[in-house]
Amino acid sequence: MAYRTYLMVCAGTGCVANNSMKIKEKLEDELLKRGIHNEVSVVTTGCNGFCAAGPLMVVQPDGVFYQLLKESDIPLLVEEHFIKGRPVKKLMYTPPKEKSSIPKMSDIPFFANQTLIALKNRGLIDPEKIDEYIARGGYEALAKVLTTMTSEEVIKEIKDSGLRGRGGGGFPTGIKWETCKRMEADTRYVICNADEGDPGAFMDRSIIESDPHAVLEGMCIGAFAIGASDGYIYIRNEYPIALQRLQVAIKQAREYGLLGKNIFGTDFSFDVRIVRGAGAFVCGESTALMASIEGKPGEPRAKYVHTVEKGLHDKPTCLNNVETWANVAQIITRGASWFSSIGTGDVSEDAWGGSKGTKVFSLSGKVNNTGLIEVPMGISLRQIIYDIGGGIKDGKKFKAVQTGGPSGGFIPESLLDLPVDYEELTRVGSMMGSGGMVVTDEDNCMVEMAKYFLSFTQAESCGKCIPCREGTKRMLDILEKITTGEGTEEDLVLLEELSYMVVDSSLCALGGSAPNPVLTTLKYFRDEYETHVRDKKCPAHCCKALIKYSIDPNICVEKGHGCGVCSKSCPDGAIIGESKQVHYIDLMKCGKCGICYDSCKFNAIYIE
Amino acid sequence: MASKISIEDLAKIRKETLRTMNLREGSGKVKMNVHMGTCGIAAGARKILEAVLSEVETRGLNDIIVTNSGCAGLCSQEPMMTVEVYNEPAPVKYVSLTPEKVKKIFDSHVLKGEIVKEYALALGSETTV
Amino acid sequence: MIKLTIDGKQLEVFEDTSILKAAEKAGIWIPTMCHCDYIEPYGVCRLCSVEVVKGKRSRIVTACNYPVREGLTVRTNSERVKWIRKIIMELMLSRWPNVPAVKEMAEQLGISKPRFESKEKDEAEDACILCGMCVNVCNDLVGKGVLGFSKMGIEREVVLPYNERSEECIACGACAYVCPTKHIKVKSLEYERGAIQDWSLASKTAIYVPTMQAVPRVPTIDEASCINKQTGGCKACQTYCEPGAINYDMKDEEIEVEVGQILITTGYQLMDLTKMPQFGYGRLDNVYSSLDFEHMLNSTGPTNGTIQCKDGSVPRAVGIIHCIGSRDENYHKYCSRVCCMYALKFAHLIKDRTTAEVYQFYIDMRAFGKGYEEFYKRLLDEGVNMIRGKVGEVTECRVDGEKPFLKVACEDTLIGKFREIPLDMVILCPAIESNADSSDLKKIFSISQSPDKFFLERHPKLDPMSTMTDGIFIAGCAQGPKDIPDSVAQASGAAAKILSLISVGEVAVDPIKAEIVEERCSGCRICNNLCPYGAISYIDEKKISFINDMLCKGCGTCVAACPSSVITGKGFTDAQIMAEIEGLLAI
Repeated sequence: MAYRTYLMVCAGTGCVANNSMKIKEKLEDELLKRGIHNEVSVVTTGCNGFCAAGPLMVVQPDGVFYQLLKESDIPLLVEEHFIKGRPVKKLMYTPPKEKSSIPKMSDIPFFANQTLIALKNRGLIDPEKIDEYIARGGYEALAKVLTTMTSEEVIKEIKDSGLRGRGGGGFPTGIKWETCKRMEADTRYVICNADEGDPGAFMDRSIIESDPHAVLEGMCIGAFAIGASDGYIYIRNEYPIALQRLQVAIKQAREYGLLGKNIFGTDFSFDVRIVRGAGAFVCGESTALMASIEGKPGEPRAKYVHTVEKGLHDKPTCLNNVETWANVAQIITRGASWFSSIGTGDVSEDAWGGSKGTKVFSLSGKVNNTGLIEVPMGISLRQIIYDIGGGIKDGKKFKAVQTGGPSGGFIPESLLDLPVDYEELTRVGSMMGSGGMVVTDEDNCMVEMAKYFLSFTQAESCGKCIPCREGTKRMLDILEKITTGEGTEEDLVLLEELSYMVVDSSLCALGGSAPNPVLTTLKYFRDEYETHVRDKKCPAHCCKALIKYSIDPNICVEKGHGCGVCSKSCPDGAIIGESKQVHYIDLMKCGKCGICYDSCKFNAIYIE
Repeated sequence: MASKISIEDLAKIRKETLRTMNLREGSGKVKMNVHMGTCGIAAGARKILEAVLSEVETRGLNDIIVTNSGCAGLCSQEPMMTVEVYNEPAPVKYVSLTPEKVKKIFDSHVLKGEIVKEYALALGSETTV
Repeated sequence: MIKLTIDGKQLEVFEDTSILKAAEKAGIWIPTMCHCDYIEPYGVCRLCSVEVVKGKRSRIVTACNYPVREGLTVRTNSERVKWIRKIIMELMLSRWPNVPAVKEMAEQLGISKPRFESKEKDEAEDACILCGMCVNVCNDLVGKGVLGFSKMGIEREVVLPYNERSEECIACGACAYVCPTKHIKVKSLEYERGAIQDWSLASKTAIYVPTMQAVPRVPTIDEASCINKQTGGCKACQTYCEPGAINYDMKDEEIEVEVGQILITTGYQLMDLTKMPQFGYGRLDNVYSSLDFEHMLNSTGPTNGTIQCKDGSVPRAVGIIHCIGSRDENYHKYCSRVCCMYALKFAHLIKDRTTAEVYQFYIDMRAFGKGYEEFYKRLLDEGVNMIRGKVGEVTECRVDGEKPFLKVACEDTLIGKFREIPLDMVILCPAIESNADSSDLKKIFSISQSPDKFFLERHPKLDPMSTMTDGIFIAGCAQGPKDIPDSVAQASGAAAKILSLISVGEVAVDPIKAEIVEERCSGCRICNNLCPYGAISYIDEKKISFINDMLCKGCGTCVAACPSSVITGKGFTDAQIMAEIEGLLAI
């Protein structure tokens, strides 16, 4: 039988170790699906020598060389090359001296779909050289503000831009400044909140590390607008590089007279002090942060009197997070209308009416491209995950994305086209938060995920108020019960009731948002909870107490010939079986570590 | 110690610095920018920087500007470096570097002007809105 | 004024009032478990959650710290509020099931059994419920900041720094006072060591009326224990005193009064019993001094007048040991005169109030006053055991399974045997001593002390209340140990002497006086300290010495001592004496 095309998939040791056999299977599947399996043949070959680029494949007679293949690449490859006849350049290896194969940055979706404002200098300037910041237009906004604008004009500009707090709450920055300015006081403070404590989130750290002066300039402008002469940057001590770059930046700015007395020869004076946080998550909450600066225990207080009225040392205080400050100078330079042209909604009437500008997210979890991204407000979650993130790792199925840090909610696939803005995320039970974004796939158990994030917030609760201290612990106990197979239907009801109560009555936002992962998973993945409770099964095979490993005797003997690798690798000595005979797992001894599952080359071991 | 600057000085500094940043006129032929955010350093950017410096030294090159900057965003492919050669149309971003790869980049890109394509991610730099 | 509606009731309150206070005014009860009036609201129990309605939306706030706003509509008893309170109480009950304050609140809110099982359950009745009131009182009111929280989340606890006794703590007891579960207890370190006076430490307040018979009968602030004096904080009394009579700036004043005669009645002190460790005072439980025991007998004392051991039990046998430090070659040779009789009184009261056996350990019974001997006889009839002999030591004995008791070792000289008596309580009768500062007083008044350090009278039989210095009188135990009737008699006599001088209006003095020739005095001050009557003083302005004619007795000591020979006796100048000699020789 003659084929029009032969696909030579390398089956050398190196490529097999890199999963080339899976690629081959996937290719065959895909060709069959497309109905071209009679035209295209998949052949395995010996080592091709270019193991570093494995798994790889050569298409004959075209001679096209594909490298670093992943299962997820295959559908695209088959579609493009073998149906439409367009070789996929992205997957090709092109020999040296041919320039065309190196794409432009703007051709790479990861970068092309981003819009940089807060991160505009990332990777371009040396963060420890103030001159390079100035070369990219730095401190011009400050000069403009100090020489040509009144504080009212600055506030109006920020208000018109529609900038809202990037730290989590999304409070309109301009209104915050205006209220702070209106309070009668002899002293006012500005604070930059760089106490980024969310696990897996590093937006603020990255901004400070790559562009510390943008933050300083923003704070200067803010201080001018509200009439403050003292500023604090509260940064966690676990960020040594950010801290050091910030110290260098402050020193340089002082030397240039951009901080200190009579900046640019005007009568505006402003200086910044760094306060290092000791790593308590709750100190990211504004009142707890201020208590910590004052040298008191970092515990929040009720905010019925706002910090813009009585904040640090009971003086009007304007606190914004790193990303918010980093946006300020650009808004001044390029104008409010430029900024408000990006994003959703309309803020000209109602400051809460839309989300403007961009938002930085740290994209992590089961996506191919993890990293730090800045996207315009209103972009869909699907675009973020698939275009920028490059889709789910290993071609798995997407399950949910969690936004906004450990107290954000999980958003299911049905809501992936949701535009990312403050109101929409809140509406579906999650939040913008400071910008964490964790993608989960079919291998993640939602109960387990909810438990994981709740255990973080529960451990980081300061313990001041009863709902957060006692409530989150009881919630965690119930989740523990469910994941170990001891949960009941009543527990689900109780869990939900308790969650709503903790949201309603906690003292600060930590407790008020901690149940979000639980509430959203209960809402969107209730069936998973019910399977845990009713059938005592974990659909994603995550909850150890609810799974058991078994060996398929047929595969074990027929394919593996009772190789015995599993029994040698089992740390509990739970796998019994003579050599070349069927092996069994002694469930009494099995510690459910999964080592045998990973070690079996014949996939004879399966999870129930 | 620099003295306090005025608004006019801003423009001056800008002009001066842009010259070195953009590799115009003289100061250097090649600029190598290692991305050193926490993610990059954790992935081994310090070793890359050391390798770059030692290559510059052992080869006795004196027209290379070595600098560093923050995270370039694509943390999963750190350590990264941007190499910019005078007279070439766009800087090249190299990803997932090792000291050996650095050596090769020196051999071909820096010295011969041939981009090492297998390590390169893309040409150009990110654009801002 | 701000108008608002709470549960449909319209009311008007001052600005900055909390919803809780406003509701209180309207007679609406809102439950709280971390709130008290002395301190800023803390808002952690969340029981006072109420629903605040704004347009169509409502939200939950805590009433204790939410300031009222114009036009506010508050619901304190909506279904949502009740639901929150119910779960909070369930959470509290599951953690602290036996704390009365929690149980009572749960009952009031109609919650009986929690649906949760707490892994951190604390079944103590006095468990800490983390309301934080103690911490806030110490920080905000007392201003000491001794108490604080440690650990996070579910592990949170109230601690002293490093879990050690803090030197900063002034033992004001404010924390224990506000604690709703009696988790905090103030304990006296002295009490630990067994001294009975400290039993009442916690209940003694910083404001008190000095004595029930004080004139004028007004309270005073004890500077040593007033929190305001120590930290500048508190001022609770000022807040509550309606007439505004509290003045923290008042100081003790020194008032100078000019008088012609002085009666010294400075009394005595009791011997320090820890100097005689063999008796175990301050070391063993249930060994008391006679004053401690008197304190215990007092119906307003720490035990309300009941006689009991430290553990609260009634003693089975009590020993009273006489002559501790009196009639003792090593301490005081004299007899303290009062111990025998008060020891008999103690024995009588112990017999009267308990069923305990009483033992008296004495050297000699000295019942020499009017009616005293009869009282002694009566006591013997009451069955008090009298053991004549000095006690060697008091020790504590422990027998397994029984409470420890005290053992008194002594020689019973009447039967000629060595005895060991088991007792539950021992009362020591310490010697009466002259005050520790009596030597200073002696110098001030230029009077004398006898070898036993009591002030010396002019004549033990003929003039027992005068001193060698005119116008200075002594009475009571300042002169020597004596009982109350003797003290009253001596003091009355001294007062009569003083009055007799006052009624005359003038004093006749001896004409023989010393005299200084002022112009020639060099101001060397040698005479100043030599004068046994304190009659010579130094005048700073003139830089010469001066003799007070009223005090000078004309003894001539200064005349002989003056190096410049400028002091002469009036009528006894050298020239006069020489003339007299010449006259005598001429005969």
